[in-house]
Amino acid sequence: MDVTTSFMTQDIWTWWLALYLYFGGMGAATLTTTFLTDMYLKPHPQLVLWGAWSGVVMLSLGSSMLFLHLLDHMAVIHVLNPMVLINQPHAWIAWGTQFILWMMVWGVLYALPHMMESPFFMSIPIVKDVLRWSFIQKTGRTCREYSKLCGWLASINGIGTVVYTGLLLQSFPAVALWHNPGVPLLFTVSAFSTAMAFLLLVLNLAIKKREEDRPLRVFYERVDLILIAVELVILFSFFFYLQRGSLSASVSAELLWNDWGWLIGFIGFGLLVPFFLELKGVIKGWSTPIPIMTASVLVLIGGYLLRHYFMYAGVYVRPW
Amino acid sequence: MTRYAMVIDLNTCVGCNACMAACAMENQTPVWKNQWRTYVHDTEIGTGEDIHRRFFPRLCNHCSNPPCMSVCPTGATYQMDNGIVRVNEDTCMGCGACAMACPYDARYAVTYSDVKKGKEFFGAEGFLRKSPSMDKCNFCAQRVEKGEQPACVETCVGSARQFGDLEDPEDPIAKLVASGTARPLLPHLGTQPNVYYIDDLKRRG
Repeated sequence: MDVTTSFMTQDIWTWWLALYLYFGGMGAATLTTTFLTDMYLKPHPQLVLWGAWSGVVMLSLGSSMLFLHLLDHMAVIHVLNPMVLINQPHAWIAWGTQFILWMMVWGVLYALPHMMESPFFMSIPIVKDVLRWSFIQKTGRTCREYSKLCGWLASINGIGTVVYTGLLLQSFPAVALWHNPGVPLLFTVSAFSTAMAFLLLVLNLAIKKREEDRPLRVFYERVDLILIAVELVILFSFFFYLQRGSLSASVSAELLWNDWGWLIGFIGFGLLVPFFLELKGVIKGWSTPIPIMTASVLVLIGGYLLRHYFMYAGVYVRPW
Repeated sequence: MTRYAMVIDLNTCVGCNACMAACAMENQTPVWKNQWRTYVHDTEIGTGEDIHRRFFPRLCNHCSNPPCMSVCPTGATYQMDNGIVRVNEDTCMGCGACAMACPYDARYAVTYSDVKKGKEFFGAEGFLRKSPSMDKCNFCAQRVEKGEQPACVETCVGSARQFGDLEDPEDPIAKLVASGTARPLLPHLGTQPNVYYIDDLKRRG
């Protein structure tokens, strides 16, 4: 149409949706990473408990952000019903809700045998009684017998959740920043990077720093370093993709690359500084865990900033 | 098969906003917070003394490939066989994904508080809405079923809005669309909208 053109950002999904995407991605990636570590790298019950429960807590927090902002809270029942995947197979929120739900279920089942042996869980008043119920004991024994199955079912749903956070934004065709295949990739890489950062903090702070965990810490540092590098490459591609092409893309580029929060906050402190801190750790090592812990905290902040700025910089081109 | 569509002539819209008023009364929209199913933008175009006021009515485009429907997780947004895209307020949970997906800014939220306010504004007995949802234009499906025109079309004093069946080659709007005189908004997005516009000739000089 030969008409006026205006540009609009949206105020429907704002910081709270960024939190939903952030906690959803990080929680699912954390749970998946710890389960795969326990199954194939190094049996580590403590890490499994941390991964499973922090995953569940993060996903609950994230999901509550969306739930609280629904217009009709009772109608959520329609999306909790697994039949939604048959009725609405093209809606990513339907897939995401089911991924989150089943990831939590299989995650708790995978962790259950470890909980029954954990002195911590067996000392929590009501929880210890529940864990002693014969039904729960029987379920725990079955889960131990089929632990790989539980672990994989949780991991598949976890990976589904992580990728979903990007696919959700990709499904909005009017905004060039979101509607491209780079978004699920970027959000997946970022989610696993924040999960590595979170687990490095867990291994350094919560689980008493054990010498036998050192190879695992080094492995997570290396993986995180690679993930940050990949994230930088994807962002580099986004920079050039947004410069030329649609109006929506170029206005988003202007918004992002003229914003100090994005440039200094996210790319500078959220990616580059942790990258170099971890690079030094991998090449020469650090005499203290503080630089790696600093890098982890920065990656965690950066992970949120990425999603925050992505939500606010999506531009609609209106033909009026 | 019927495929309902609308043609809006930008040359004859006088910006009286009667369409907005008629729609608000027919569909009981939350006018108290300036939310409308159809809205007329009022802008000034030009420089110096050569300035024109220009009116641009917009509404849901009832796309043949509606992104609001494909992202709807509960199936509350659905399309009728005649092409009208509707919202089932009973199953809509109001996540807002449809509003994010719509390139035409056609969706707005009706909250619990709006439902309450609606009963005061339109009268408790006559107010039809029971629950919140992400609302939008439905081409006045309740009127179309009875063989009437949508309220905005019927009330338009400049005859800027025409409503009809694209599948009927004798329908005036089908002819306007087939001839290329009336064109859709943002066709490159692939949504296949069914609201068409006749360009503002003044602006094209």
